[in-house]
Amino acid sequence: MPRNHLVVLCLLTASAVASGMAWAQAAPAPAVPPAAAAPAQPAAPVPPATAELREAAAKAPTPADLAKGDPGGILTGTLTDLAPADAKAGPTLADAGNQIGQNKVAINFVWTLVCGFLVMFMQAGFAMVESGLCRVKNANHTYMMNFFVYGCGLLAYWLIGFAIQMGGAAGNANLGGLYPLNAEFSISALGKTWGLFGQTGHFLAGTSYDVGVMVIFLFQMVFMDTALTIVTGACAERWKFVTFSVTSVIMGALTYPLFANWAWGGGWLSQLGTNLGLGKGYADFAGSGVVHSVGGLTALAVCLIVGPRIGKFNRDGSGNPILGHDMSAVLIGCFILAFGWFGFNPGSTLGASANGNLRIGTIAVTTMLAGCTGTFGAICYMWITKGKPDASMSGNGLLAGLVAITAPSGFVSAPSAAIIGLVAGVLVCVSVSFIENVLKVDDPVGAISVHGANGLWGVLSVGLFADGTSNYGGSWNGVTGSVTGLFYGDASQLAAQLVGISTLLGVVFTLSFAINMVLEYVIGHRVSAETELNGLDIPEMGQLGYPEFVFRPEPVLAKAA
Amino acid sequence: MAASKSQGSNFTLFLIGATVLCGGIAYAAGATGKLLLLLGAGMLLVSAVGFARIKHLEGETPVLPSPEVMKWVGAGVTLLGWVVTIGGLRMVSGNGGRIFFALLGIGVSSFGILYVLPATFNKTAFWKKPAGSSARIGYGSLPGKSATEPHFTPGMGSVR
Repeated sequence: MPRNHLVVLCLLTASAVASGMAWAQAAPAPAVPPAAAAPAQPAAPVPPATAELREAAAKAPTPADLAKGDPGGILTGTLTDLAPADAKAGPTLADAGNQIGQNKVAINFVWTLVCGFLVMFMQAGFAMVESGLCRVKNANHTYMMNFFVYGCGLLAYWLIGFAIQMGGAAGNANLGGLYPLNAEFSISALGKTWGLFGQTGHFLAGTSYDVGVMVIFLFQMVFMDTALTIVTGACAERWKFVTFSVTSVIMGALTYPLFANWAWGGGWLSQLGTNLGLGKGYADFAGSGVVHSVGGLTALAVCLIVGPRIGKFNRDGSGNPILGHDMSAVLIGCFILAFGWFGFNPGSTLGASANGNLRIGTIAVTTMLAGCTGTFGAICYMWITKGKPDASMSGNGLLAGLVAITAPSGFVSAPSAAIIGLVAGVLVCVSVSFIENVLKVDDPVGAISVHGANGLWGVLSVGLFADGTSNYGGSWNGVTGSVTGLFYGDASQLAAQLVGISTLLGVVFTLSFAINMVLEYVIGHRVSAETELNGLDIPEMGQLGYPEFVFRPEPVLAKAA
Repeated sequence: MAASKSQGSNFTLFLIGATVLCGGIAYAAGATGKLLLLLGAGMLLVSAVGFARIKHLEGETPVLPSPEVMKWVGAGVTLLGWVVTIGGLRMVSGNGGRIFFALLGIGVSSFGILYVLPATFNKTAFWKKPAGSSARIGYGSLPGKSATEPHFTPGMGSVR
């Protein structure tokens, strides 16, 4: 904040306190002028603003006033709550300025942390959706994957993932600057410098032992875990628990943080604007690409390797519906996810005070609108083509709309959000059909379509629908101005988004595929046919999710036995 | 085999090795860091060998071997798409040209992901094989589902 703004703010605060409120009693003068303590020297002139502050402090309510109670709330929170550097001298303009700065950062800390807590709760939603869409014989296994992925991701991210992603991300004014995160490994190409990965923040030790760093760690960690848990749904009902555990650690340590650094940590995708003039660089407000596409494309890579569930496809290639065991869990899980998304998108401002952060209300509304139209898109599509407003696809339509609006939520208007969500709702239905019937890839929960396909659509939609009205501190990715898409006159932003999509497909997918192929050679992804047919709960987890349920024998199981 | 004590031991060793390795990376400039790097890498290698040694105990999976080379070719084609996109950034300076090369790169990557790799993995898919030609096949169909209304196939299962 410019210095003159600070002075004006202090003056306004002081005059409001001094003249706008009538105290019951005048407090005794608390401060001794500095000149009185040193009579031998000429008295230093007291700045008018400081004098006014001290006058206001003198009139502030005393502890005796406050002891009488403050039912109207007009006596609580005054200049007496300002901690002056010199208690004897009383409050100064510098004290007031410091307090304003700390208040701004405190508001942003609380906002970011609370939003992070909401995102963490999305894990419960994912667990319910994924388990509900699986058969009862695999319920414990699916729930456990969703439970343990949190620990695997958190550990890996603390060890090294956070350092790779955010180790060079210093400079965020919302959170106090994050100055300890000041080392990005870069290379030179095309006559410019391009960031590849961060180098500070391992173990949150040393200089990273910092209040702002802790806040950004928590917020980014829960985002990373969201990406990891996408894979567990796509590969459910036939994935070895140990291989899932190992690949989750690797994804939390390497795959996710690498792309997140390129997009959010000061890496090369974010530099496309400053280095090549491509819009404001790759813009992904809350992670349609960073979180959802990374998770969805990794899910596709693992699904290809692990193969379809026994009984999914017939010999002629036609698919069989394998119904989930609990539709109520699925839909309640979708609601939990939609609730958590209010942390995901509005929280990605990383603050509620200053730097254009008052847009949080707009972001929340665009988020809920896209979820709404996504649900309508899926319901209408299914109703028209299949004759029923299918429940599971309705839930996926909601999630698809939310996934798609995640990247553009900070840059688009409400009508644009509604269009983006509607397209996503139809796209998820078409994509589920394509992946199952054309690719012959078995995705029990539709995660590849919901997160992969719609994540890419969300990234693309920034380059189309961003309206140039957002203003997060006057610039984005170091480029002055607001993110503006093709429909509002900036084709170069679309180019930056397409480079991001190409990177997701070409690098993130390939890296995930290569890592999981190596794990296939070393550990093996797939459980045995016998384990799969009997259900993974007993062989993999040691106990049934629902021990009192009576299983209906499947014909194929009798055949295998 | 399913989950076992051996798996648990090797996974624990993997976690410890990863932690030590990351400690080595964090302090790689010093001698202690280099020592930790070596120690962590060694532990990861031992855990990998341990995993590989117990892999065969898992029992027969339904997945049949498919052409390994083509899997890596598919991955290569996918990566090639990104190279095309980046090459376009270097070759042209106008927005239209860069958008063209980015779309071309996306097309090449999509060809790898949506055609080469699925075709490779499905070439020997177990569900294609007739029952009785292998101990691992015969798991193709799952008839007898009657939890839905006739003529209605729910979304998460089969949308056609």
